[in-house]
Amino acid sequence: MFKQGLWACCVLTTVMASQQALAETVRIAEHRQARIDALQAVIPKMEAATGVDIELVEYPGPDREYVSKLLTELAAGTGPDIFSLPEISQVVDFSTAGYLQDVTAEVQGSEAYGHFYDIAKQLGTSDDGKMYVMPTMLSVQQLYFRRDVLEKAGISTEQPKTWDELMQRAIDAKAKTGQYSLMLPMGVTWGGGPFVEGFRHLLSGSSTPQIATDDGKLDLTSPGITEVFGFYEQMVKNKLLPVDPLLGPEPWVIPKYQMFPAGELLITSCGSWCLIFDWGPKSKNPIPDVTKVVGTWAVPGKNGGEHVMVSLSHPWAVGASAANPDAAKKVLQAMGSVDLMVSYAANEGNLPSRKDALDNAEFQKLTALVPIMSYLDKAAFLKTAPGFSTVVDGVARATEALLLGNTDAAGAQKILVDYAKSTLGEDQVK
Amino acid sequence: MSASFTRREAWRNRFLILPSVLLLAAFVAYPAGFAVYTSLTNEALSGPAAMNPRFVGLANYAKLLTDQNFWRSLAVTFWFVLFSAIIGQLILGLMSAMLLNRRFALRPLVNAIILMPNAVPEVVAALMWASMLAAGEYGTLNNIVAWFGVDPQRWLTSFPLTMIIIVNIWRGIGFAMILMTSGLSSISDELYEAARMDGANTSQIFRRITLPLLVPTIFLYLLVSTVSTIAIFGLVFALTRGGPAGSTELIGIYIYNQSFNSYQLGYGSAVAVVVLVFSLVIGMLYVRALKVDV
Amino acid sequence: MAQRKQTKTTAASRFGLLLVISLYCVMPFVWLLVAAFDPGAGLFLKMPDQVDFSNFFRVFYEEDGFLWLMNSLIVCGGATLLVLVLSGFGGYALSRTQAWWKRPFLYSIILVRVIPPTALIVPLYKVMLTCNLAIAGVVRSVVPPEHFRQVMRIVGFIDGYLGLILLLATMHLPLALWIMKTFFDSVPREYEEAAIMDGATFGQRLRRVLVPLAMPGLAASGLFAFIAAWGDFLFPLTFISSPELKMLPLGIYSAFLRDSQIDYGLLAAIAVVYTAPAIIAFALARRFLVQTFGGGLKG
Repeated sequence: MFKQGLWACCVLTTVMASQQALAETVRIAEHRQARIDALQAVIPKMEAATGVDIELVEYPGPDREYVSKLLTELAAGTGPDIFSLPEISQVVDFSTAGYLQDVTAEVQGSEAYGHFYDIAKQLGTSDDGKMYVMPTMLSVQQLYFRRDVLEKAGISTEQPKTWDELMQRAIDAKAKTGQYSLMLPMGVTWGGGPFVEGFRHLLSGSSTPQIATDDGKLDLTSPGITEVFGFYEQMVKNKLLPVDPLLGPEPWVIPKYQMFPAGELLITSCGSWCLIFDWGPKSKNPIPDVTKVVGTWAVPGKNGGEHVMVSLSHPWAVGASAANPDAAKKVLQAMGSVDLMVSYAANEGNLPSRKDALDNAEFQKLTALVPIMSYLDKAAFLKTAPGFSTVVDGVARATEALLLGNTDAAGAQKILVDYAKSTLGEDQVK
Repeated sequence: MSASFTRREAWRNRFLILPSVLLLAAFVAYPAGFAVYTSLTNEALSGPAAMNPRFVGLANYAKLLTDQNFWRSLAVTFWFVLFSAIIGQLILGLMSAMLLNRRFALRPLVNAIILMPNAVPEVVAALMWASMLAAGEYGTLNNIVAWFGVDPQRWLTSFPLTMIIIVNIWRGIGFAMILMTSGLSSISDELYEAARMDGANTSQIFRRITLPLLVPTIFLYLLVSTVSTIAIFGLVFALTRGGPAGSTELIGIYIYNQSFNSYQLGYGSAVAVVVLVFSLVIGMLYVRALKVDV
Repeated sequence: MAQRKQTKTTAASRFGLLLVISLYCVMPFVWLLVAAFDPGAGLFLKMPDQVDFSNFFRVFYEEDGFLWLMNSLIVCGGATLLVLVLSGFGGYALSRTQAWWKRPFLYSIILVRVIPPTALIVPLYKVMLTCNLAIAGVVRSVVPPEHFRQVMRIVGFIDGYLGLILLLATMHLPLALWIMKTFFDSVPREYEEAAIMDGATFGQRLRRVLVPLAMPGLAASGLFAFIAAWGDFLFPLTFISSPELKMLPLGIYSAFLRDSQIDYGLLAAIAVVYTAPAIIAFALARRFLVQTFGGGLKG
């Protein structure tokens, strides 16, 4: 059989150039059980709305393996028709590689567009003014703290004004309670976490809040970055965070799913999903009365100011090699529905990018999320540029060195700069 | 045999090997050749270089020379191969083979136990060792060393390279033992008898008879285990992902990280090509030493 | 008397050493076995409060454990069969020929074991994709559209059995070719020549002389191919997407990230199901191994 197969290959490769479309089936890649459940729930409605058969294909769970598999397929000129990108910084890297279809007309022409928060429109639009993604969900991130434990220990639960105030509060909390008091993700095994859930929040309150320069280069030598790494250094030096778990293969499991619910970790950065997925109704280890016990602060600036970071969570894109682009784009438009957004919000805890989701009865049941929607009007975000994924990776490496006590703030910055230069070449890094 | 018969046999032999050649050409030689070509470009998996890769000549190789991470990765691989495959597995494998050379009641059981780690899939092996080496006072290894009064350690953080060497030795003793057993079985008993008659003691017998006669087996083992240990990826990747801070970033992991984390396909391929050449040289040295005639 | 004493101490140290080595080898398995039967298992080794089969029950009833097992058996079994056929014939040809390409070929295929698989993945994907398109063309012209997907799951190169079988067989073919070649080297040519003198055709020689003689060698090379294919993770991860084709290593992998917390009991149970066939295969064919390598080295 195999000989015939090979023979057939030789002869027919030349004849068969393109994959013929099956009758209007669109394949959507999704990964991680919570997200799969969310999508599965709304597929029948989307099929009814578009008249297209939708097939859900399960991809590997961890973001890193998911992206590896996706890239392998895309590089070979195939892949799922519709897929999501775990990090917003990947949109620019994927689109410049030619893996994504321009969906500007479809997204702007969709029923959803008029209802989007402005920030969703801004984040979904690339520098060239085109849209490559349908921004369905937004993540709002800030600091989450154990109100009950801090109050008992007599630590203020007011919004901290500066980095120093936050740091001092964490040091006091540690002294009074003996528990770990402040953790921002660090280390390579957390993937994009160190950057997304820590670094960029601090950076936006530093003296140089952006990395991407106006000419599309990356400025990694700025004083702001030194300041941010200095904050991390202090956090490690004062032993405010548990080191062991952060070096393991699933670094978030112990601190977020076990220590925080047990009151052994008092302040950490997180997104709204923590109130659903990590400690709320979808958690295996829920905190009772989570909205009362857990409070939130905006991340303070170095010398004042408040920063709540918003970014796109897993925006949806149509692959360049989609077998049936028209059907795929039609489905993409349908993915802007309130139903889909509410389903993901309920399963995963991110926020709908549509204002009118607030009118949805199902969404109103998610009492933990509703108040956070108010941040979407005033939140900050970080500009991206080509090569941003490398910065994300470099920050993970630099924070790991800090975590291990191998280097100081300046050394960490050097690790980041060296890594970015060796990966991207000298000309992309300022 | 007639000349026509010989010719017919020769043609048939070629035909018999042809399917294997075709498969190897399609799934190994062609992709490998393509990787060599890729190593001369700046091809990337994402970003602008993915759409329009440029031919950059030997630039990737020049970059290798000054890339500290590459040299560190090479050093890590060297120590890993030296201590796990060349020293650890060989000594423990040879020891087991000699100890099990005599019959006793539990021999089949012990034999099976030593072979078991060899049969375990990589993913499962990594899972089992993740539990063994878990940090904190409940980790299995921490419980064991506690009997000797040692404090709980963060094994994979404090001694990462040592730990992956220990894990790899664990996995390879069985294979070494199989080879050594077969080598031992080909040494005739008469030699030992004669030596004992002459009054030689155990260590003399080992040094003068067993070891010299085992040399071909040992070299064959070294050839196979060295080259396959250089290419190890899954076991270590699942345990440490090359960390912390690159201290267990074997060359296979380095290539993976270059290609799938940094998306630098061209550069990753250049590393692969260099590794291939290294392995080729090592392989040839062994073959020389072994003087095998194939 | 002195001699007796010495043998006693050596015997004691022998058993001591063997005990240490055995403990080293068996220790990691303890957690796996305990956790698999403990419904409340965690990452750490502990005495279970309760021992039952609930983890295995979940593997086979709540998850698609049986499907994963069958897929793994089909793919790895297929690859092993293919390796047996190819390495049997190929090894024989390599042993009997004296052609100029023999040495270069034998040495260059060792290199397959050296190439880090991670370096091949991207170009390999392109090859597989090309083959897949070709096969899809054939299938589409022969098979009615409603059965297209089912057929492609069997003969496809990407997300299909055939491609993965061919790929895994190819990757583990070189070692098998070497084993079979050295094995046939040690099979005296006289047996064959006697058969030729009797006027036996190649087919008859094959059936009566070569296959029976080659059994131990085939067992060894088949075993190694099976275990290696069984343990492979990167290729199934890259080339399999459909849940219908999911294999055990992927099942383990997705169990890792099933929920917010890892379910170690379930994970351990899948791992036991995954490990058992490899160990059984080893146990069945172990006795052939020493024989084969012994023969190979003498020859």
